[in-house]
Amino acid sequence: MAKIRYTDALTLALQEEMDRDESVFIIGEEVGQYLGTLQVTKGFLEKYGKNRVVDTPISEVGIIGTGIGAAMAGLRPVCEMMRMDFALPAYDQIAQHAAKIRYMFGGQFKVPMVIRGPSGVVNQLSAQHSQALEALFCHCPGLKVVVPATPADAKGLLKSAIRDDNPVVVLEALKIQFQKVDWWEEIQEGLSEVPDDPDFYPELGKAKVLREGTDVTLVGYSTMTTTNLRAAKLLEKDGISAEVVDLRTLLPLDMATPLASIKKTHRAVVVQEQWGLYGCAAEISAQIAERAFYDLDAPVQRVTGAFVPMPYSRALETLAYPNENDVVAAAKRTLYGK
Amino acid sequence: MAKGSPAAEAATPPRKGTFDQEKYLRFYEQMVHIREFEEICEPAFRAGNHGIGGYLHLYSGEEAIAVGIIGAMDLPKGDCFIGHYRDHAYALAAGSDPGQVMAEICGKATGCSKGKGGSMHICDAERGFYGGYGIVGGNVPIALGLGWSIKYRGGDQVCACFFGDGSMNQGGFHEALNMAQLYKVPVLFVLENNGYAMGTSIERSHANTDLASRVESYNMKHDTIDGQNIFTVHERVQEIIAGMRKDPHPFFLECKTYRYHGHGAADTQVTQATYRTKEEIEKWRTQRDPILIAEKILMEAGALSQADRDRIHAEAKDAAKAALKFADDSPNPSPDELLKDVYA
Repeated sequence: MAKIRYTDALTLALQEEMDRDESVFIIGEEVGQYLGTLQVTKGFLEKYGKNRVVDTPISEVGIIGTGIGAAMAGLRPVCEMMRMDFALPAYDQIAQHAAKIRYMFGGQFKVPMVIRGPSGVVNQLSAQHSQALEALFCHCPGLKVVVPATPADAKGLLKSAIRDDNPVVVLEALKIQFQKVDWWEEIQEGLSEVPDDPDFYPELGKAKVLREGTDVTLVGYSTMTTTNLRAAKLLEKDGISAEVVDLRTLLPLDMATPLASIKKTHRAVVVQEQWGLYGCAAEISAQIAERAFYDLDAPVQRVTGAFVPMPYSRALETLAYPNENDVVAAAKRTLYGK
Repeated sequence: MAKGSPAAEAATPPRKGTFDQEKYLRFYEQMVHIREFEEICEPAFRAGNHGIGGYLHLYSGEEAIAVGIIGAMDLPKGDCFIGHYRDHAYALAAGSDPGQVMAEICGKATGCSKGKGGSMHICDAERGFYGGYGIVGGNVPIALGLGWSIKYRGGDQVCACFFGDGSMNQGGFHEALNMAQLYKVPVLFVLENNGYAMGTSIERSHANTDLASRVESYNMKHDTIDGQNIFTVHERVQEIIAGMRKDPHPFFLECKTYRYHGHGAADTQVTQATYRTKEEIEKWRTQRDPILIAEKILMEAGALSQADRDRIHAEAKDAAKAALKFADDSPNPSPDELLKDVYA
C-alpha cells in the first residue's frame, strides 16, 4: 500500500496498463508534447512514443471515432477528453455508435475502449466547464459508466475499464483530483491508500461501504462520496451513526449493496452533485422505493444541485451544488429531527 | 469528369486494350445478382408479409462502385471496409451469404446481425465488413480508427469507407478527413455522389459543388471518376490501393453515380417528384446503367454471349428468390435474445 493522490493514481493506472498490453494507446488533445492538460500523461510521449501517445487536433468526433474503429479492429484505445464537457460534440459517436455497435450487429464486434476525463463541479469554471454529465452516459445501454471517488478506485477502476471489452466512460473527479494525501487522511484514515499490486483491478459494478453506521445510509459517488464522509463525521457529533455507500460505477449499477445497508438503517439519503430532475439520484431513489419500501422508516431524501447552468460568482456557485451541511440536514429529515 | 452533379449525358468511352475477361465476367455476375436482390426487396417490402419494416435503402444503379472497389481489396489479408445504410451490396460484393443478408432485412434469427440491426446494419466481421451505419457521416470517423489500427500495427492493408454526398456536410466528416491526412492512415474515402442527399440536390446543399475539390484543403490526394463503368472504377482503385500499400496515405475517390429508387422505401414516386423527374431517372436507367455498360463492353470483346447474359440474369433472379425464401422459412429471434449482445 502506498498513500498517493487521486491524480497520481490515474497516471499509475495508465502506465501499468500500457506497460502490460501493447494494444493500449492514448489519444487526445495535449496528451503528448504538452504533457497532458492536467499532467496525467506527463512523460508518456517520451516513454511510449507518438504511435501510442497521440496528440490530436481539437476534434472530439475524430478522437472518439478513431477510438471506436481501433477498438473494433482489436486495439484498446483510451480516448482522453480534456474535460468531459467536450465529449458533447462527440455524443453521437458515443451514444449512437460506440454504445450500440455490439447489439445492432448481433454481437459480431467488440468495442473495448475507454473515454475518460475530468468531470464535475469545479471552482468558478461556470456554465460550460463545471458540471457533472454522468446521467447522459447512463442513459445509453451498451456503455459502462465509472465514477471513482478515491485514489484506490481512480487507479483500480481505470485499470478495470481498460481491460473491459466494452466502451467504458470514466468520469474523473476533478475537484478532488489534486487534493494532497493529508486531505484524504483527514476525511478518513487510510482513504488515500492504493494497492501496489499491478493486477489490482476491481470488478465493475460493485459498490462499497466506506464507513459503517446504523441510523441512516448516505448513498453517493465521485466527489459526493467524500462529501458524504464529511457529513457522516458531522452527524457523529450529533450522535447519529451514518453508513456511507460509494457506488463506484453507475453502469452497471450495484443496488444490492445500498439495499442491504438500508435494510439495516431503514433510512436513505441519495446525494448527487448536479441536476436532480431526471438525474442518477432519481433512478437510485426509485429503485429503493420499489425494492425496499417496507424497510424504510422515512421517505428517501435526495440532495442534488440546483436546476440552473452553473453560475460563475462564488456567492451563487456555492448555492448551486450540495455540501456536507445539505447532506446532514437531509439525514436529519429522515430521522424527523431526532 | 465534369464537375458538379452527376450527369446522365456523360459518355462512356469505348474500352481499349485487353482485360481479364474472367474477372470482369465475375464482376458482371455480381452486379446482376445485387440488382436482382435489391429489386426483390422492394415488392417484398410493399407486400408487407416478409417482416421487412423500417427503412429500406436500395443500391440499384450504383452497383459498379461496391463491386469494383471491394473486388480490388484483399479481404483474407486483412483489408477491410465500412459502409452506410444503403449497405446490402457491400456484403454481397464481399461474398456474404445472400440468405443471411435477406434474413437480416426480414428481421430473422438467421440474419447476419441476428435480426437486431435490420437493413441498415448489415455486417460481416469475417470478411472485413465493419457494418452499415444509419447516421449520415457517422461511419467516417470510425473508418479513421480502422485505418489507424492498420498503421498502429505497421501493416500494408487498406480500409475503404463508403459514404454519400450528404455526409460531406457533417462536421465529423471534416474532423476525420483532416486527421486521416495528418496521420497518413490508409483509408480510401469513397464518395458515392448520386446527386441527392435524400431529396436535396448538390446545388441546394453544397456551396462548392465540385465535391472532390473540398478535400484539397486537407492536402488529400483525390480523383473523380465515372462510377457507372466497372472497368473505370476497378482499374483506378487498383492503382490507388497499390499506391496506398507502398506508402500509407488516405485517398478521396469521388464516383459519379445515380440511385434508381427513392432515398428509402418511404421516398415514394410522389415525394420523389418534389426533387427529380421521371425523365431524369429514365435517362440514367437506359443510358448510364452500370450493368448495361458492362454488358456492352463484354459482348463487344466476345466475353459474353446473349445466351450467357440471359442465363446469368435468370440465375440471379432465382438466387434472389431463394434468399427471400430462406428468410421466410427462418425463425424469428427468440424472446431471450432481447437482452443479449448489449455487452461483451
